[in-house]
Amino acid sequence: MSRIPASGICIPAQHAVSRRGFMSDGAIRAAGAVTVAGCFASDMGQIHALRSEEVASELRKQDKHVILLWLAGGASQFETWDPKPGAKTGGPFRAIQTNATGVHISELLPELAQRMQHTAIIRSLNTKIADHGRGADLMETGRLKDPSILYPDLGAVVARELGRLESKVPDYVSLYTSTEGRRKGTSGFLGARYAPMFLSESMIPPNIARLETVSEIDHHDRAALRDALGRRFAASRRSHTVDSQNSAYQRVHGLMASAELFDITQEPAEMQARYGPTQFGHQCLIARRLIEAGVPFVKVARAWWDSHGQNFETHQELCADLDHSMSVLLDDLEQRGLLKNTLVITLGEFGRTPEINSSLGRDHFASAWSCSLSGLGIRGGVAYGKTDPEGHTVVEGEASAADLFATILSALKIDHKHEYTVGARPVPLADFGSKPIAEVLS
Amino acid sequence: MEATMDENNIPGSTEPQAAAPTAGTLPNSVKVQKTFSLPGIGFCLATASDESLIYAGLSDFSIVRANLSSEKIEPSALGTAGHTSYVMGLVRCGETLVSGGYDCSLIWWNADGGEIIRRVVDAHARWIRMLAVSPDQTRIASVADDMQTKLWDAATGECLATWGDYELKTPHGFPSMLYAVAYSADGKWLATGDRTGRVLVRDATNGQLAATIETPFMYTWDPTARRHSIGGIRSLAFSNDSSQLAVGGMGKVGNIDHLEGVSRIEVFNWQTGTRRFEIEDSKHKGLVEALQFGPEDAYLVAAGGDNSGFVSVWNMADGKLLTQDNAPMHVHDFALSADSRSLIAVGHQQGAAIDLFSVQA
Repeated sequence: MSRIPASGICIPAQHAVSRRGFMSDGAIRAAGAVTVAGCFASDMGQIHALRSEEVASELRKQDKHVILLWLAGGASQFETWDPKPGAKTGGPFRAIQTNATGVHISELLPELAQRMQHTAIIRSLNTKIADHGRGADLMETGRLKDPSILYPDLGAVVARELGRLESKVPDYVSLYTSTEGRRKGTSGFLGARYAPMFLSESMIPPNIARLETVSEIDHHDRAALRDALGRRFAASRRSHTVDSQNSAYQRVHGLMASAELFDITQEPAEMQARYGPTQFGHQCLIARRLIEAGVPFVKVARAWWDSHGQNFETHQELCADLDHSMSVLLDDLEQRGLLKNTLVITLGEFGRTPEINSSLGRDHFASAWSCSLSGLGIRGGVAYGKTDPEGHTVVEGEASAADLFATILSALKIDHKHEYTVGARPVPLADFGSKPIAEVLS
Repeated sequence: MEATMDENNIPGSTEPQAAAPTAGTLPNSVKVQKTFSLPGIGFCLATASDESLIYAGLSDFSIVRANLSSEKIEPSALGTAGHTSYVMGLVRCGETLVSGGYDCSLIWWNADGGEIIRRVVDAHARWIRMLAVSPDQTRIASVADDMQTKLWDAATGECLATWGDYELKTPHGFPSMLYAVAYSADGKWLATGDRTGRVLVRDATNGQLAATIETPFMYTWDPTARRHSIGGIRSLAFSNDSSQLAVGGMGKVGNIDHLEGVSRIEVFNWQTGTRRFEIEDSKHKGLVEALQFGPEDAYLVAAGGDNSGFVSVWNMADGKLLTQDNAPMHVHDFALSADSRSLIAVGHQQGAAIDLFSVQA
């Protein structure tokens, strides 16, 4: 259990883990949850242990990442993962056979259909909340909003569980450059340390560039001098405060150095072309660059799937973007050996109604909808759960938001029952009563 | 609503003016006379020669026939085993109906018995959006999301020509769509319009391009809030003298929910590229799905909708509104009666007969 006071600062005693204990089987997982939690360093012995080659090697082995493709506004399950061709509610699109036997998806996702070996579909989400704000709250945190406590979103939880003390890159990056439905994300009670680096106006983080008046050499020399003085100071005056300050400086320096990760022109032209001309494609490429550099959690939000009007035109446009960008992303991750360590999620706040309204749109619907999980920890080629022939209800394998979060955490080999303690209140990583969907886990 | 007559702003313009309407010949009302239920969304409409019989292509993949002279109009399915997706285009050539749909196929039907005469599977590589028939009913033009216009022999089903000239992708890298096609009344010209607001007018016999007209407002690309477009050119109509071309769609989208954008029409003297009127209507919002000029090109009837529907009539002498009202449903297609005093419309789950002249007129 990790104790987090209301202030959100970890209690140092909780980090006192022996090296033997740290390295024991199963404790590596605990290390992810407790010791490598990414709270500002509080125990120098622990930091030194983390820096040992043996531990570092073990950590590299469990290097894990998440890319969340957030389909903001709510994508239609009929036009993506749960097509109902020929049904009154099915719309005009056909279903196509994927490369997984017996699994059909919408014809709007032809490239992903050929990559189903990586992907499990969950067709049986019943999350009940069908308004944007509360639906997003639910699907970002895996639980209902509670006025008495600020829950962290998935990105913050993953950042805390998978982030590394010594990392010089951000733990949680969120890209949402459209204005409709924009949400920053929240680290809730985990505190600002796990808040996302939020890119809303540009794909390059603002205000992290070195001042033009400071040369590159001066910039490095200043950092080296500050580090040397800091080490000397800390050698005789070890305290949480001093360690935190050193860590904070190192982190800022790292963030400044990470600016180039957001610059896709650093990629070969052929690679840029593969991801295509759309902003979503560019952001998927940034996500891969960030993951490759060690960022645990990247959220790429794609607005605006809220197709109350012209649902079919909207999905023709946006599914083409999703299909191509995500397919290239999966290929790229696989070719770089990253997919086995990276979980790629498609999710939004809800799905869309079976009924087609007079604007040829579909409205909000949270009673029977779909999401997908690909890569790390996932049994590919699986379509879990079932909806009725017209898509009104879940008839098999109903899953809640909490179940989905338990599944995601289980795919990452994070104990979803692990509890934070906020004040005196235990808060499990996935909500009470949640159960991972074993059928989609490898 | 607002309407502007651009021609007045063109110094030295020598463009022909529409004939001044005669009093009593202009529509003065939009009054629903009767409605009838459809078993799906009615996307396209064809009328029989006696006008009492109509055919509609629907979202349930069927074509239905309805006798408007019946006391209670009860549409019945025409034939079986037709399309396998939405039916988006329907034209009549004598006793034959030709339909096209999102299943990419064209089907020739016996309009009376409902038997399938001919089926062209994969007539296009992607969704067929609309059909148009030549005035002499010997040629059928089809447009589809493969961004091709195809010309078909109405009698034999032979594909006579395929014309491209549109980009497959929008300027922002998304799939484009070729929504609309119209024949000129003299049968010489064929106009097509796409998602990005580009109109091509070509010689209907040899496909040679005669004019390119840009209507960029119809594209509705939103680079900030949503990063996608929702509009496009949804309707086209030549004037009866073939000199003017009306283009219908939607203008700037305020809220994407239920098509909250101004309905938009632009009217051109297409051979010179001069825009006569630019009409935006914020009272009746949404897409202009269908257009038709009235007799002597004195007025233009427009219909469409957002989450509701509208019928509007615009004076082609000055671009001002003559009359308009709600339709009982979002209208996807309509046909003026032979005397142009009424229209039959089909749309969301229903159809309607609508008078354009009040009793006093």
